[in-house]
Amino acid sequence: MITDFPAKPLPLPDDDDVDAELSAFGGSAIISKEHRRTVFPVITKEDVFNLMLAQRSTPERVVAEFAETYRDYVGARHALPTASGTSSLHLALVGAGVQPGDEVIVPAFTFIATAQAVVAAHAVPVFVDIDPRTYCMSPQAAAAAVTERTRAIMPVHVHGLPADVPALRALADKHGIALVEDASHAHSAKIGDQVAGSFGDAAGQSLMADKNFPLGGEGGIAFFATEESYRRAADYVERHGIDYGMSWVAAAFGTSQLARLPYYDEVRARNAALLGEALEGTGLFHAPYVPEGHVHAYNMYRITLRPDAVDLGDLPVHAVKEAVHELLVAEGVPAREWQNTPIPCHLPFQYRTGFGNGYPFSLNPGAVRDHRPEDFPVTLGMLDSTLVLCRELRAPVEYERALRYADAFEKVARRPDAIRKLVADNEYRRPYEKAARLG
Amino acid sequence: MELFDTATVLTRVMTSGVVMSIEKSDRELPGLERLLTKQTGRAKAVLLNSRSAALHAALAGQGIGYGDEISRPGLGRKDLAFLAWLGVTVREDGPAAFDHLAVDAENAGLLGESARQSTAPALVVDLTGLGFGPAAAVLTDDPAVWARAERLKIFGAYDLRTMWTQEEESPDLVPGVQFNYRLSPLVAACVRMALSQAARPHPTPGATK
Repeated sequence: MITDFPAKPLPLPDDDDVDAELSAFGGSAIISKEHRRTVFPVITKEDVFNLMLAQRSTPERVVAEFAETYRDYVGARHALPTASGTSSLHLALVGAGVQPGDEVIVPAFTFIATAQAVVAAHAVPVFVDIDPRTYCMSPQAAAAAVTERTRAIMPVHVHGLPADVPALRALADKHGIALVEDASHAHSAKIGDQVAGSFGDAAGQSLMADKNFPLGGEGGIAFFATEESYRRAADYVERHGIDYGMSWVAAAFGTSQLARLPYYDEVRARNAALLGEALEGTGLFHAPYVPEGHVHAYNMYRITLRPDAVDLGDLPVHAVKEAVHELLVAEGVPAREWQNTPIPCHLPFQYRTGFGNGYPFSLNPGAVRDHRPEDFPVTLGMLDSTLVLCRELRAPVEYERALRYADAFEKVARRPDAIRKLVADNEYRRPYEKAARLG
Repeated sequence: MELFDTATVLTRVMTSGVVMSIEKSDRELPGLERLLTKQTGRAKAVLLNSRSAALHAALAGQGIGYGDEISRPGLGRKDLAFLAWLGVTVREDGPAAFDHLAVDAENAGLLGESARQSTAPALVVDLTGLGFGPAAAVLTDDPAVWARAERLKIFGAYDLRTMWTQEEESPDLVPGVQFNYRLSPLVAACVRMALSQAARPHPTPGATK
């Protein structure tokens, strides 16, 4: 077949499957190999038609129309469409007034692009630990890291849950520094009625095709609260000869996808609620925490393990997680670690060569630290005790598929004996003891 | 390229469902890489999302960075500004650190011939002029240049298909600053068809450019 249409429909759930032997021990998998492919993004007739129409327009107009429509959706004042999330974060920082050698506070747990965007702005990332419940930047840790050279705080709405913006806004205001959002996971995420990307002085957001809101391949967008910030960023790329422009092909695809985003948001929220209820019934697994008034976009869904609830409290939690990970994957649930060590422990922030010869770290040696994983105990605790689902909750994940995922978690949670055996038979290392991985 | 051909290519890729550069089953980016290496006679191609990204990759690929000086006669204001932003000083004399070609619909058929005249260790090919948005490539015969340039564009990863899970075997090749300079497979597919058509000795009826 030349299309991504599924080859076979998924069988309906059967209650007996949950009590059958685990797949890793010779039983049948909850989701068989031929049914495991998750189609994403959904590409419709309208997307195709819209790209045909875009050919009759000018590239500048296609990109500008997309950016204006999405800016309005987010409720931001100004928008600058870019080629990637990283470039959007770079321009958000520049627009917010970050200068070479400045310090920008970022969470130690995020995708590496957050910190690399700071380096791209010729500034120095200062890493702080996360909140143990939301996994977003800890406002207390951020407060402790502020110095006279701090120019901005850049929280990440990690996995799609908005960070503690009120606390971070207060911190930024107290010190007269900028609040810049990394909203790359948080399309349609909200605090109250306000959408992520519109909280800060500036924001950057990835729109690559694996995000909840996908463009045609690669893309990003920077948002600014003031005309002055927007102008500063636009002038910067012009002055330095930097090509960060978005392709009209990516933009045209995004315009029709945006019209369906609320539909997909609803499906994801429904799937998250369904799975969350099932997980809470297992004892071993727990759904992501969502503070009152926050809307989680569930670009990723991080599941917490509590081994003591199934009498495995005597085992190291990271070993239980590794065993559970193996069992889930065997059942056809593509759970992942998504990061296995704090970002400052990745090679670029250990070597700190930057653009070459240590620039821009050399501008501000006082901001530089030789970090070890233990410097971020909350991040390590999270990495030890959690697993992540990525595409598995997104449309067009069918209702029966969401039910099958719930069954797989239930099936694994009913077998603490199997988990104990795997832990006894294997020497599982802690996540950060393995080589740093992006995902 | 005719609008009908662009429409056909875009529809074909969207029908496949694979529009993401990091998708294991993407065939468009490797297809464009193969075509570019064949047309230019170089061993390796690095696809990038813009001209300045390709300049960055051509230099980073050779281990050139902040504080270094290169020879490159005849650069325009924009390229010089970008190299200054990278912290690279440019001299007018001496052998060029990289060569540069800007491809558009008119000259696309001459890519191979132009590339054969280039002697620099890295050849930057700006594909933006073909009309599908910013796009570029670095062509080289040096596997080390290719390896470092690939890592610059995908956050230190060396293979788009396994970028999330791979472990680095050559830590010395990991760049200090890393970007997402990845090209969209949709754009790559259009560029590939435009270059293929331009290289044909006898254009098909209706293909006017």
